Amino acid sequence: MAYPYVSDREVRVVSKHFGDPLQRRIDTYVERGGYKALAKALEVGPEDVVDIVKSSGLRGRGGAGFPTGVKWSFMPKDTNRPHYLLCNADESEPGTFKDRELIRWDPHQLIEGCLIGAHAIRAQHVYIYCRGEFFETTQVLARALEDAYAKGYVGENILGSGHTIDVTVHAGAGAYICGEETGLMNSLEGRRGLPRIKPPFPAAVGAFGMPSTINNVETLCAIPHIVTHGGEWYRQWGTEKSPGTKLFCVSGHVNKPGNYELALGFPLSELIEDVCGGVRNGNALKAVIPGGSSVPIINAEEVSRCSLDYEGCVAVGTMLGCASVIVMDETADIVKQVRRMADFYAHESCGQCTPCREGTTWTAKILRRIEDGRGTEEDLDTLMQTTQNMVGTTICVLSDSVAAPVQSSIVKFRDEYLALIRRGERVGAA
Amino acid sequence: MSDVPFKNPGWAGNTGEFDLSEDQVRGDDFVGERPKHGGHASGSATMPYMLAEKNPDAVLFEGEYKERFEKILTRYPDKQAALLPALSLAQELRGYVSPASMDRVAELLGLSPAYVRGVTTFYTMYNKRPVGRHLVQVCTNISCNLCGADDVLAAFLRYTDTELGETSEDGNFTVIEAECLAGCGFPTCVQINSRYFENVSPTEVPKIIEHLKAEGDS
Ligand SMILES: Cc1cc2nc3c(=O)[nH]c(=O)nc-3n(C[C@H](O)[C@H](O)[C@H](O)COP(=O)(O)O)c2cc1C
Ligand code: SF4
Ligand code: FES
Repeated sequence: MAYPYVSDREVRVVSKHFGDPLQRRIDTYVERGGYKALAKALEVGPEDVVDIVKSSGLRGRGGAGFPTGVKWSFMPKDTNRPHYLLCNADESEPGTFKDRELIRWDPHQLIEGCLIGAHAIRAQHVYIYCRGEFFETTQVLARALEDAYAKGYVGENILGSGHTIDVTVHAGAGAYICGEETGLMNSLEGRRGLPRIKPPFPAAVGAFGMPSTINNVETLCAIPHIVTHGGEWYRQWGTEKSPGTKLFCVSGHVNKPGNYELALGFPLSELIEDVCGGVRNGNALKAVIPGGSSVPIINAEEVSRCSLDYEGCVAVGTMLGCASVIVMDETADIVKQVRRMADFYAHESCGQCTPCREGTTWTAKILRRIEDGRGTEEDLDTLMQTTQNMVGTTICVLSDSVAAPVQSSIVKFRDEYLALIRRGERVGAA
Repeated sequence: MSDVPFKNPGWAGNTGEFDLSEDQVRGDDFVGERPKHGGHASGSATMPYMLAEKNPDAVLFEGEYKERFEKILTRYPDKQAALLPALSLAQELRGYVSPASMDRVAELLGLSPAYVRGVTTFYTMYNKRPVGRHLVQVCTNISCNLCGADDVLAAFLRYTDTELGETSEDGNFTVIEAECLAGCGFPTCVQINSRYFENVSPTEVPKIIEHLKAEGDS
């Protein structure tokens, strides 16, 4: 037993060395087989790497779950213009805390993944965009990178292959929206982090106007393992459509919160009961948000039917997102928590689109009114309507993300809203 | 819970990062040097620190900071891309990003002052006005909130004797609310200058504050 908590139900691939400070050292990393996948990738060439990743069925771990190999194959094959690989380490979705851990426990795993990814898309420069708050995390990564440069794994003529790939760590400055891929590109270019209208897609016009691909930290961390062992090996875990392992960030009212790496398709109720030691104080489970704050909330009954893969979550009306499981017991105040999330989105909306800019603010205000006992039943209809107008009408999906928790909580926990409204009416009348 | 929560309050294990000593982060035989004030070559010299010690009149940029600034420029295909790192550097040096700092950075990068203001004000981490020697950011987002973040925030306000967003009279502390800091499994997560404090409960707040006061510059 080491790293905060571990469970024997886990399959630790990318998180294998969590809790071991030695892993940060390049010597240890190499001793344990590190940078062999890079050598293999350089040898077999971009096309084969893309094929291996395609065959593994690996899906992007940043939230959308798009197949990584397919995404890489969208990149143009020419090399007349620079290509860029962008690693998304802007982790700021409430409930998510895996990328920071991946970087600070195993920085070389990420660097190796970035190099292989860059080679696969014929990029000579990788930018790792770390959220600005990650001072120490970024230091660990920068130091690891320094060592990798010194040993010839990064930079010119990597391992004598004739290939040049540079890696730069770039620190953001505090804005959730820079995690959105085109917002990240604008931010990297020294602009406000405003998402761009698509198309053009990044593979055509991305960072600095050049073809770019963007991948999440966890996605890239899985790459060296897949390249070493092959696609079939990765498919031994997970389901047909959601192969492999995934880090689950469990937070909230469980006895043992933390990061757990599990095969996709793992039953949510077992994650809470077996892996995380159950709900704290033996309380009853009220609700779970299985994929970070941007996905619909589910109630205890739905939890019992939910399996943790992309399709399994959709089947119970929610999404896997970035697998950030937020657990709420019977004492949780749903209205307050939904209002807190709405506040977050109102704060983080970049303000380009009217439905999002106005919608997030009004949603937060109305929820606050209800929480304070000044709401009416009509407000619930207004909320449903307002949030409905925010879906599919904007440049990026931050706007849609507000609708998910608000609408699902009003539908599933209407009683709690009504109780606040009724109590307010009684106090008001007295 | 350990006796010295400010050393490593987190369940994330002892990474030693809170002390930032090479040995603890890297193991005993780490060789190599971290440039002073946290700049780091591979990070394109852009890894700023939020330092307790700040100099609002420092020149942008000279000496070691000039070197770091120039290093930044080499890492991007154009000058504009150096804007965020340059602003971070200015903040590390001066403690906040004043209009004068923005104008100077604009000049250095060949951008218009208005453009630089637009960018600076977009990002929350640039302090637009001076803050206390210790900027305390308490995450009150959902996961921390479920585990009592509001009480931790209240405790920080009480023990530093400040209002939300204001700086304490002795200039030591500014306490603000933060959005999710990506430490949700270790609630409540608090960032103080460059450091993360995890698993903070209200009872530990006085200890942390005493520690910071005693520690002086970090
Ligand atoms: C508002 C918003 C915020 C996002 N934040 C992040 C983030 O912090 N980290 C991340 O990896 N992806 C984030 N994404 C998803 C990215 O846009 C992108 O899909 C992802 O980085 C692609 O990598 P993947 O294919 O490896 O998942 C965000 C998306 C949106 C709309
Ligand atoms: S949906 Fe919101 S966050 Fe996204 S681009 Fe529009 S205003 Fe900005
Ligand atoms: S919710 Fe507090 S760190 Fe994520």
